[in-house]
This record gives sequence, C-alpha cells and structure tokens, in this order.
Amino acid sequence: MITIEQIDLFIEKIPPSPKILQETLSLLNAGDLVKAAKVAKADPALNAYLKELVNKPIYGFKNEVSDISQIFGILGVARSQQAAYNYMISLLSPEKWDMFKLNKSSFYDLQAQLSANWQKIMEHLGINDKNVYSAMSLLPASIIVSEALFSRKINDVELLRSVDEIDLNTVLQRLCKMDLFDICQRIAQKWEMSKSSMTIVQAASGIKPSQNNTVNTLGKWMHMLLFYTLSKPVFIEAGLNDFIYFQIEYVNDIYEDFTKVMEVS
Amino acid sequence: MRAVIRDGIGVFHPQGFLDGTAANSLLSVEDIDVTVKSNASMILVSLKKVIFFNRNGLDAFVKMFHKVRSANHITVGFCNYDKKKYDTIKKFYDDDLSFSLFKTEKIAALFSSSFKEKNKNVLLYSEDKSQRAALAIELHDNGHNPIVAQTKEEFIEKSKIRDAYDLIISDTFLGQMGQKVAARVTGNAIIYSLSSFLDAEIGDTFNITYHNNSLNVGFRLFIFDSYKVISMNIHALNFFSKLASSSAEYNATICFVGMSFEKTPVNFKETLEDAGIMFFEQMDDILQNKELLDELGASSAAVVKNKRALNKVLVTELPNFIDATVATIEMMTNSHAVKDAAKVDKIDILDKNDKIASSIGFYGDLDGMVMLVFPLEIAKKACELLIGENTNDKEMILDTLAELVNIVGGKVKTLLADEHISVDITLPRTYHDVDGLLEVAEGKKGVQVDLSFDNDKFLFFLTR
Repeated sequence: MITIEQIDLFIEKIPPSPKILQETLSLLNAGDLVKAAKVAKADPALNAYLKELVNKPIYGFKNEVSDISQIFGILGVARSQQAAYNYMISLLSPEKWDMFKLNKSSFYDLQAQLSANWQKIMEHLGINDKNVYSAMSLLPASIIVSEALFSRKINDVELLRSVDEIDLNTVLQRLCKMDLFDICQRIAQKWEMSKSSMTIVQAASGIKPSQNNTVNTLGKWMHMLLFYTLSKPVFIEAGLNDFIYFQIEYVNDIYEDFTKVMEVS
Repeated sequence: MRAVIRDGIGVFHPQGFLDGTAANSLLSVEDIDVTVKSNASMILVSLKKVIFFNRNGLDAFVKMFHKVRSANHITVGFCNYDKKKYDTIKKFYDDDLSFSLFKTEKIAALFSSSFKEKNKNVLLYSEDKSQRAALAIELHDNGHNPIVAQTKEEFIEKSKIRDAYDLIISDTFLGQMGQKVAARVTGNAIIYSLSSFLDAEIGDTFNITYHNNSLNVGFRLFIFDSYKVISMNIHALNFFSKLASSSAEYNATICFVGMSFEKTPVNFKETLEDAGIMFFEQMDDILQNKELLDELGASSAAVVKNKRALNKVLVTELPNFIDATVATIEMMTNSHAVKDAAKVDKIDILDKNDKIASSIGFYGDLDGMVMLVFPLEIAKKACELLIGENTNDKEMILDTLAELVNIVGGKVKTLLADEHISVDITLPRTYHDVDGLLEVAEGKKGVQVDLSFDNDKFLFFLTR
C-alpha cells in the first residue's frame, strides 16, 4: 500500500521549478508575452524544449519556428502558458520508464498531441481561457507520477492484474487510494493552478461528472481526447490505452462533433 | 492484450478508436494463441468500448480471426455492439461475413459448448433465413429450446412477452455456418447482385466456378439484380453473352432485373436478348409470378453435360457424408438416425408420391452432389425445429429442407477440412416432386443409402 503521505512526499520531492520558469509563468499569467519571452530566453533548456514542441508536425507550421518571442507570439498567452507547464512536467519525466513503455521523445509526443488537439477543441468550443488550456497539462504530469508509483510496486501491480482484468487506474486506486485524476488534482494544488483546472480534470475521469454544465462538457471532450490519443499505436504499445476504462456512454453526445473536429474517418 | 476467459469464451476488450494501425497494436496473433491454449472454444473481440472503428481497423482483426480459425477450428468474431455498429459491420462485409457476430457475451455463451447452463428458452430472429436456421440448430445442438420468429412482426410481437424467454436473440450472425456466397437464393432461382460500372473486371469478380456448379446441381434460373448498375461496356456485354450461351446448354435462363439503359447503349439490350437474356423492370415481376417462375426455373434439365462417374475418392469419403447427414438429422429431430442399407447404382425411388427433395453440390478438391429425398410428412417432422409451428405450407417445408441440406453441406465441408480436403458448397436446390429431381439425377450412378430415424425412412444419394 502506498499512502497519501507517500504520494505527497513524492510530489513534494518534485524539484521546485527553476526561477526563470516561475517568472515566465507568472508573466504569462499576467498576460505579458513580451516580458515573458525576454525572461524565458535566459533558460536554454526551456528554449530548446519549446522549439522542439512547436515544430512537431501536429502543430502544422510550414517553416521552422526558432525564436522564443516568435513562439510565444504564435501560441498566444493561453497556449504559451500551457507550453510552459508542459516544460515543467517534462523536467519530471524519468530517464528510464519501467511501467509504461515510453521515452523522452514519445512522452513529448504525447504532450504535443494532447496540447495541439486540445487547442482545436478550445477553438471549436469558442473558449479562450488559459486555465482551461493548462488543465490538459495535468494528465501527462499525472502519468509521470503514476509511473513513479507503479515502478516501485511493479510486482504488486502484476499480481493484481493477473487475478482480475482490471485497469491500471483501479490498481492505482487500490494501491494508493488515489486515481490518475486525483493525482492530477494534487499536482494542480502543489503548483497552485486554478481550481477550474482541477474540476475539469476530475470531470474528465468520466466517473465523477461535474454539476457545472460547462465543466462537464469540457470533461467529456478531455475524456474523449484522452482516448483518441491513447488509441495511437505508440501509446497502446506503451501500455497507456488500458490505463483507465473508457466511459463510452459519458461521451456519446459529443461523439459526432468530436469526429468532425478531429477529422476522424 | 489479454482476453477474459469465461465459459470457454475468450473475449478481448479493446477501447477507444480503432483504425488499421491501432488494431494491430491492440491485439496480436500471439495474444489469441495464448487464449486458445487456455482451452477457449470461441475467440471474440468486444466492441463495447470501441467508440469508432473503420474497415481497416476491423480487417486487422478479421485477418487474425482467419488464421486462428483455420488452425484451430474455433468460432471467432465480434460481440457487445449496438444496432448501429452491427449494421455498419454488415455493410462493410456485405455477403462476405466469414466471422460471427454476437450481440452480447450472454448470447455468445449459448453457442459455446463449454456453457454449463442448458435448457434456455430462446426467442430468435434474423432477417436472413439461413441464419435463422443456423442459429436455431446450433442452439438446439447445445441443449437449448429455440423459438424461431419467421417475420420481424412476429418477433416484435413475441418479444413483448419478455418473461416467456430466458434470452432474446437478434442482430446476431453465425459466420462459421455460413458460406461465401456471391448470390442469394429464392425458391429455385439464384440471384446475383451487380452494381456500378460493368466492365472487363466482371470476368474476375463473377464466380464462374460457383455458377457452373449451380448449373450442375440443377439450378435453372439466374437473376441478375441490376438496380445499382450504372453502365455496361462492350467487355461486360461479351461476358454476359457468353454466359448466356453456356447456360443455354443446360436450358437455364438468365434474367436482368432493374437494368437501366440510360448510360448503356440500347443496342446492348438487343444483343443480350439475342443471346437469350430476359429483362424485367421489377424483381417482383418474376418472383411474384409463380407461373413464370415455374416456367423459367423448372425447365427440363435433360441436356445435362458431363455425366461423370462416381470415383474412388468420393466413395472413400462417403462415411463423412453419411456422418454429416446423420448428425444433422439427429440434431434436428432429437432422435437416433440409423443407416439401413447402401448400394452403388442409379437412384432408385420406389414410391414417387408425396415426396420432396433437396440437393446441394460441392466442388474444390472433391466434387459431387448430395441429394436427400423425404416423404413430405417426414420432411415436415425433420424440419419441425426450424419451422417452429405446425405448417402445411409446402413452400416453407421445402425452404426449410433446403436449410437442412445446407447444414449437411456445411458439416461435410468441416469434416473434409479436417482431412485437409477443401471444398466449397453451392446453394441448396429443392424439388417439389421426385420427377424434378430425376431430371437432374436420372442416369447418374451414385451411392444410395436408406436412412431412418424413429422408423421414418428417407433417402440419401451421393453422386457426381
């Protein structure tokens, strides 16, 4: 059994974000893209990360984008903030993945695909709220934490799964009394993210719908996007597809819209 | 991915979006092999949590199904879907559904030999007559009591009394009982479906072996459903002219129904008519006109080419044919069937009155024809399970007898496959009376076996 204290300890152990990143995030939060870019320029790792992220095919830029002010300019406030969170999460990414068959590159791909498609959804829903944008960053973060928890208990996980066909999220719940989405919430608290980010992610579980219609709709889109992304071969093979049970009934009413937005055929 | 095995059924539960690339990552032949080794007699993929699938996604699974089935002779297919998904799969695979579809895992369990519960009262309906029969027989074979609804209306009506049944089956398809057919059959007419542009490709897509074997079995009326044909070019015209000439040698008739000549030269119609092809506007013009149907379909089969001798290979395989027949009759009548006498000669029917018959051809590594001749009342008794209620409708009894023969054919195919002899079967043909059968069988040497169940006698004849 892993206790909440141990999880908190683990989240606590996450190194505090570098000063430059903190300042960048705070400026982005205030909506000052120019100053944020100026500060961010001082961190070469952040620069390299952002450059790699936005030049992934999913973002669809024809020419390579390399200057950080240009990147922030193209992304806008909300998406720049989301990108900065993604960078922060990537700092936590383990050197070697044990439970999930991921690596640095495939994990960045996961972040990029979730972020870029979340952006499409936001445009479709006509939402331009940086807190809603950032909410998507929490899922990859939670996957990193889960990896860390599972990798310490791989034998227990295997044992539980050999007895019964259960999803990893249930295993997580049984081992830690917390599921993937609860961990998202814990991380959001630790990083002092907005409350709306937490409620959206909880609704995205598909089993804890929100009373608030807007939050619930966003939760459905996030649940669907999660499954759309986790149905890609690289993530199926990584073992992420059966992390949580897909709640098909929960998302039925947005299915048609979703397939149009994502151009699924 | 690991399957959940219950009651001998291994079910895989993929989730999310299923396209060609995802399917191969979700499931591998090795995953299936592990499940088969755990003594699963059925391998299914649940579509419950699959929100989207396309043809490529399903194809990846279907390819694995084929491999597994040919190696292990087990039932394979999909389960846990709604009406929309069922219709989509049927649309994707049209007449080429070689795997099974079970609406739920509970329904699948009824068809598993490992399922311990027996005696379930099951109401079933399928729009496809052969499927209704196949489902009923399999259920009966597994110790359940199938109640077959013959029409959708009857099904809806009966479904209202929910308490009367343990389970209600619809939107379910038994792939392993089916055969690959390029045609459907109505009475004694075979209907082929044509669509879009007819060009030189028709020579490749039309199953000429199947057609020739249907001629051999005695089918004499072939209808081309041409409602969906947009146009025909000179190559297709030549193909159909030749087909008509070769069919004429058997006194067979070829008809085109619903063919529009808007984008096809009208003189093509004249050329085809000169070759003996008839044109009708509506399918009902033929099918509802019993007189015409009889005239077209029951023409003399006297000019039968290639009277072939019975050969050693066929006689060696005789026990398989007898076993398949006996097993089917036993299944249908719940009584013990026995072989009374056997002789190699021309068919010999002492009393020709009140007898009906059905035949089915097979071709491939072996070729030949099985004929079953029943007194009408006995046929009725043998088909009671499928007809459901007492009926004196001769057409229905004949249709059901055709299904019975179809099942015999399917079983023969399976038994021969176990000996690595690969055959395909034609559609069953029925005969209102013995004279019709004799037109096809007279003069042919074969193995005649007198069989009986509960002292009710019937005749089995195997020939080439």
